[in-house]
Amino acid sequence: MSDPFLELDALTLTYGDTIAVEALDFHMAAGELVALLGPSGCGKTTTMRAIAGLMRPAAGHIRLDGRDITRVAPNRRGVGLVFQSYALFPHLSVYENVAFGLRIARIRAEELERRTHAALGAVGLTDFAGRAPAELSGGQQQRVALARSIVMEPKLLLLDEPLSNLDARLRLEMRTELARLQREFGIAMLYVTHDQAEALALADRIIVMNDGKVEQVGTPEDIYDRPTSVFVADFVGFENTFRVERGALSGANGPVDAGFAVTEGARGLAWRPQDVTLGQGPHRGRIEGASYLGQSVEYLMSSPLGPIKAERPAHEKRHATGTEVTFDLPQARAVELARG
Amino acid sequence: MTNTRRAGLMLVAPATLFIAIGFLLPVFVLLSGAFRLESGWTLSNFTDFFADPLYREVFFRTFRLGLTVTAVAALLGYATALAINDANPRSKGRLVALLVLPLMISPVARTYAWLVILGRTGFLNVALTSVGLTDEPLRILFTEWAVFIGLLQLFFPLMVLPLISSLENMPRDVIPAARVLGASWLAIFWRIILPLTREGLVVGGTLTFVGSLTAYVTPAILGGSKVLMLETLLYQRVSVANDYASAGVIAVILIAMSVATNVMLKRLATARGGR
Amino acid sequence: MRHAGRALLVVVMLFLVGPFILICLTGLSGGETLAFPPDGLSLRWVIRVFEIESFRDSFALSLTLGIGATLIALILGIPAAYALVRYDVPGADAIRNLLTAPIIVPGIIVGLALLRHLVIPSGLGVTLALFLGHTALLIPYAVRVTAASLQNLRADIEDAAILLGASRIGAFVRVTLPNIKNGIMAAFIIGFITSFNEVPVSLFLTGPGVATLPVDMLLYMEYNYDPSIAALSGLLALMSLGVVLTAERLLGLSRYV
Repeated sequence: MSDPFLELDALTLTYGDTIAVEALDFHMAAGELVALLGPSGCGKTTTMRAIAGLMRPAAGHIRLDGRDITRVAPNRRGVGLVFQSYALFPHLSVYENVAFGLRIARIRAEELERRTHAALGAVGLTDFAGRAPAELSGGQQQRVALARSIVMEPKLLLLDEPLSNLDARLRLEMRTELARLQREFGIAMLYVTHDQAEALALADRIIVMNDGKVEQVGTPEDIYDRPTSVFVADFVGFENTFRVERGALSGANGPVDAGFAVTEGARGLAWRPQDVTLGQGPHRGRIEGASYLGQSVEYLMSSPLGPIKAERPAHEKRHATGTEVTFDLPQARAVELARG
Repeated sequence: MTNTRRAGLMLVAPATLFIAIGFLLPVFVLLSGAFRLESGWTLSNFTDFFADPLYREVFFRTFRLGLTVTAVAALLGYATALAINDANPRSKGRLVALLVLPLMISPVARTYAWLVILGRTGFLNVALTSVGLTDEPLRILFTEWAVFIGLLQLFFPLMVLPLISSLENMPRDVIPAARVLGASWLAIFWRIILPLTREGLVVGGTLTFVGSLTAYVTPAILGGSKVLMLETLLYQRVSVANDYASAGVIAVILIAMSVATNVMLKRLATARGGR
Repeated sequence: MRHAGRALLVVVMLFLVGPFILICLTGLSGGETLAFPPDGLSLRWVIRVFEIESFRDSFALSLTLGIGATLIALILGIPAAYALVRYDVPGADAIRNLLTAPIIVPGIIVGLALLRHLVIPSGLGVTLALFLGHTALLIPYAVRVTAASLQNLRADIEDAAILLGASRIGAFVRVTLPNIKNGIMAAFIIGFITSFNEVPVSLFLTGPGVATLPVDMLLYMEYNYDPSIAALSGLLALMSLGVVLTAERLLGLSRYV
């Protein structure tokens, strides 16, 4: 790969004495769609604000398209941002919202009109140009915010939780739309989300953040199937994640033998609920609850390992709440985690 | 971060300095003067002031009127606020407008109206004698009654408006709920309305009490030199006798009462309200 | 319960509004002295109000003072309100308290303090002291009303404007200001009315030919018992009514009181 398009180099961000992001490194290529995934408070929104220039880093560098923009004012970076709240200007019409940046840049009248209409067309809001933002639905408001950023032809577009305020149907629509716009305009997009499904569905690449640091970088498949840390495994829904200490699984009341020889160097092991088998195996547990899900039954168990979640096909033998069962965490299905 | 702190300070500085230097400093110098004589720091201005029976009377009258006006305004205010809150939205808006309107009109004009009503040949006496209720015109003007009526009218809206907004903020249906549980109207007022509207009562009470203590126009027009209150006494001592010692003492009393009431009632409003 | 409530409201509203109706009637009296019922109806006292020179002067002073002091208070108060709402200002609580002090300090003390410790030692004009006192008195209103409008406005629209190329000041002017315009207008009207009707601060700040209108009315009252003050009071009440109703229609003023 040639020089990265966006590069964060040992970026440290602080609020007063609190460190929000510590020595963060990552990069993305031109035209790439990257998701910054993490729980709330992990520093992902702060990172995005720093890239936009809305907060000044305590240390480190941000380079965009070969230029160090660490100290460049936010209005000269060529970075667009779609706010989670959309941040539309309530006193301006949809058209004027979209034309706002062009007016500031003193673009000639004909060009301003052409570009504004093109942007409104791209998000399918041509008929709403004269409306006030308050007269639009949430999905439409978001599209105005998107058009308002895209019309400026930014080098990089940042999106803060772009799907979180939309209902399920609009999410799907918006997801398709974002992907289309990204292909059409070739704009690099970085978006922040706490929703793993959103990240998996949309991104070329995912950066998982936790506690101000990068946990793992990879394709959606990497993240979903091959998490490398206990945190990421938990976050992408493995449900049964255990640290490994001296060759044994660390349970609620001390170490528990895994039933097989744990690979040297593995710091954790994780199983999805579908991979836990019931009725045989080295572990014992007690069924605390069972919910019928149609295709399958989900069991919640208590065991010396702590709570275990298992999901078994509905045609398998059922286990009643309160009964003791043996279960297995098969070695073949275990995901080895390199970091605790 | 430090950047926005500095920007913030720079934006606040002009107004803050303006008030600190152009306003608080002269007031502070004036107040400190009450504790001085040529011989140095002393409390003798205060002891002299309270040694004078006339001044003592003015002091107690000011308090008496402040408390009575506040108490009557609170009682009448609750009844009014409850009645307004019960009205349909349309007439409620109009009634609130009628409460706000007098606040926008010059207190001189508002008080002068009472001169026309309460005077010897005023509306009230003409009405009373023509109906035959009294033979002699009643002497109301230049009594505490006149000042009381004037102050009550002046500050009543300031009591009622906060009460109305507290009533509006009360959770819906608590009163019907209490009715269903068998509470009497008195119990409902005492156990539900009063605790839930405490903040409004405190705000309205502070405005009314402090307002009455520090009113000038009403006692000046309706009380004259017969019913002096602290503010009119202060004005009289300065303009008639150049008596800055007494004026300083009155200033200290007024400001202490105003600050104390504001602080105390703010505590009261937040003390148990913040559960 | 319903009927009692309605009767109470009638009595209360009569108590609050009735006197204005009476004073307007008295101001239309044809007689020489203040009395009710008025001796016939005429406009002579209304006309007389405009002939009294000191009322003309004091009206002009009160008008200038009201507009000028309110403008200065807004120019000082808007940035302060902005900083207190949007920035993390060190000592914000102390500053907030300081900025509300003029409401808590009784006006008469302010007037006397300015006279004794500013006008007399410095030789500054009484008019200047009036501007100073009124501006200080109005700053708390300017700050409070502007802060309330700012609190109802999303903070991130300014960031959005900056990312679209606006400067910090440009973002404030193009995006924030238009959205708090109504609040500022309301603050202006409330400030103007407060200043125009103010007595205690202005009481001591009088000089030869210098007095605000309400103080001038008090002085006139001491020596005259004719219906001209009633006529003037009626006129002022109608003026306030006009301003408030216009403002209510345009801005919804009552939201800001």
